[in-house]
Amino acid sequence: MDESRRIKEHPIFGITEEKKEVHFTYDGKDIVGLEGEPIAAALRAAGVMVHRHTKKRDEPRGIFCAIGRCTDCVMIVDGKPNIRTCVTPLVEGMEVKTQYGVSDRPAG
Amino acid sequence: MIISNDRLRDIGEFIPQPDDDILICRCEEITKGEIRRACHDGIFTMEEMRRYLRNGMGLCQGQTCSKLVKGIMARELKISPLDLEPATSRAPMRPIEMEIYARDGGNVG
Amino acid sequence: MNRYDVVIVGAGPAGLSAAIEAAKNGMKVVVFDENSKPGGQLFKQIHKFFGSKEHKAKIRGFKIGEELLKEAYDLGVEVVLNAIVLSLHGEKELTVKVNDEVRHVKGDAVIIATGASENMVTFRGWTLPGVIGAGAAQTMMNLNKVRPGNKILMLGSGNVGLVVSFQLMQAGCEVVGLVDAAPRIGGYGVHAAKVARTGVPFYLSHTIVEAEGTDHVTGVTIAQVDEKFQFIPETEKHFDVDTICLAVGLSPMSQLLKNAGCKIVEDPKRGGVVPEVDELGMTSIPGVFAAGDVSGIEEASSAMIEGRISGAAVSEYLGYITKEELEEKIKVNEAALDSLRQGMFAPKNRGKLVEKTDEGIDVSMNLLKKGFVADEEIERFPGVTHRVGIHPVMECTQNIPCNPCQEACKKGCISIGSNITSLPIVVENSSCINCGMCVASCSGQAIFLVDEDLGDGMATVTLPYEFIPLPKEGTKGKGLGRDGKPVCEAEVVSVKNMKAFDKTNLLTIKVPKEYAMKARFFKAV
Repeated sequence: MDESRRIKEHPIFGITEEKKEVHFTYDGKDIVGLEGEPIAAALRAAGVMVHRHTKKRDEPRGIFCAIGRCTDCVMIVDGKPNIRTCVTPLVEGMEVKTQYGVSDRPAG
Repeated sequence: MIISNDRLRDIGEFIPQPDDDILICRCEEITKGEIRRACHDGIFTMEEMRRYLRNGMGLCQGQTCSKLVKGIMARELKISPLDLEPATSRAPMRPIEMEIYARDGGNVG
Repeated sequence: MNRYDVVIVGAGPAGLSAAIEAAKNGMKVVVFDENSKPGGQLFKQIHKFFGSKEHKAKIRGFKIGEELLKEAYDLGVEVVLNAIVLSLHGEKELTVKVNDEVRHVKGDAVIIATGASENMVTFRGWTLPGVIGAGAAQTMMNLNKVRPGNKILMLGSGNVGLVVSFQLMQAGCEVVGLVDAAPRIGGYGVHAAKVARTGVPFYLSHTIVEAEGTDHVTGVTIAQVDEKFQFIPETEKHFDVDTICLAVGLSPMSQLLKNAGCKIVEDPKRGGVVPEVDELGMTSIPGVFAAGDVSGIEEASSAMIEGRISGAAVSEYLGYITKEELEEKIKVNEAALDSLRQGMFAPKNRGKLVEKTDEGIDVSMNLLKKGFVADEEIERFPGVTHRVGIHPVMECTQNIPCNPCQEACKKGCISIGSNITSLPIVVENSSCINCGMCVASCSGQAIFLVDEDLGDGMATVTLPYEFIPLPKEGTKGKGLGRDGKPVCEAEVVSVKNMKAFDKTNLLTIKVPKEYAMKARFFKAV
């Protein structure tokens, strides 16, 4: 688990409380995250930047508002498209896939 | 409100700008150029614009772009953004799956 | 359908405060919030708040959130999370999506406290992953404990941009610069100064030309703009960054009120499209109230008071308190609200250049343009005096509604007086005992304890320090000036941290005495 982006210690919050690790897959790859954290946080901690490709222009998108409003971070989660990963808690065994338009496969 | 709907007002020619290809509506992928051009097509209100180009009609329902669209339209129509009425806001205020909406039992429980 | 005395939408500072007030008066209250955690943006605010005691000044935002939440729960307020209000109509009826069902709810009164959403700006590459809102940065680092990026450029010098820049550094990120198209810094000077003194450069009259990268941000180019916000050729600057943070203002989220049919107006002084409200926050629909940012962008402190006022107003509207009781409550709250709306940053001064303080002192132009008060400007402010022995130096140079320093000093060294926006002054013939409470209590981190002459050619400067790693006694390094540039050799001679300081460490550095009034930050080497 790549820990470089996780804040271990903070001047105001102190030592970050340990949380239970869970395993999930991102485009088939095994990734470890923390139980209950937003999927987007686990992906960012693992260095994943691109959550989806847009329908018309096939452009990459990722986290933008992080509060469930802009819907740019949507992905396919357990087969369901358009899941806002910034507000959806991570659960053991989740299957997270990059979303292309509304499909799990690049067009063409 | 009335000024923006004055269809006889001359807003001049559409003049291409170098940043016309920049996206304004991130969800429906509508560009600045498309919005500007639409004004010259005779789209003078924010409500019409949404229907015409589908900007603000995507997943986020215009939460990110409506202020940007307003600014672009105002500049193109040569009016103050204050004179452009925001588009109608109607239920549902947030995207919701049809099946959940369909299951709505009304006042039960 | 469920019926409540009052239905509140939004569990942020305004909504929770309204709920507390209504519940205290015996009402049956429910609060819906679309987020999975209550508190609105309060739990992302880790800085100490401005204001006075009744505004919960010098308490960190997230602590205020905890206090509000506890109070609401203790009073039996029902807070429903993950609850998305889909509509508000007719007879104060709402449809709310909770989990996978749509609920119908009716309130005899409704308070809308939905807050604000972030404004955005466009530039080439603005949709690339790595371009994020300032709120997103706060959510990632302060709630999720994940750094949003490693090297970050901030766009926007309002209080959000300034505060979030500081928080990014606290989270261990590098902020390469703070950019704003405006020619002047928009937020509090003290917020800017605490960022500038760490060495972050400010680029005013600059904006982003392009975010670079194919799959995600790998760099950014900024350029200077003229008065018409047009790029000036050949002024481009490039930075290698992985994240660009946007903090370009907030807009009220008034859509639900518009949906309900409330009269809506556009008012730039209130931040955009807002409901028409009376002095109690009641909209054009009787019994439907608005409180907090949704009816005009201000600080969380004002939102809490507006919430309390609307909570009292619904109580009277439905007969839970008398008119006289309401008037009593309003008097107290309006006074508190009024005091927050004074000073240079008052809503009525939005967009105006204030050149003189209320005391008639020229405002520091360096502060507005570069983020720090220049050495030659600092002496003219009343908090900056020279004494024998240790004494407070208060680099508080703008009239903002804040006064915890006055009370922090038990020796009476500091006075603001009855007008909360006055600049603090050092009281004649008072004696400082070096307790450090003023330094730790200043939400703007603008107070220093200085002993200008130890007798051996050296001086000490005690400064607030909220970063890790915390330097230890004996650590040698550089004293940084207000501009963040190294000015002298410095050695840490004391590190104090008491519970009462609430995580603001007091670092005392020893510097050559000619730098006593210049060194304002410490960097270990």
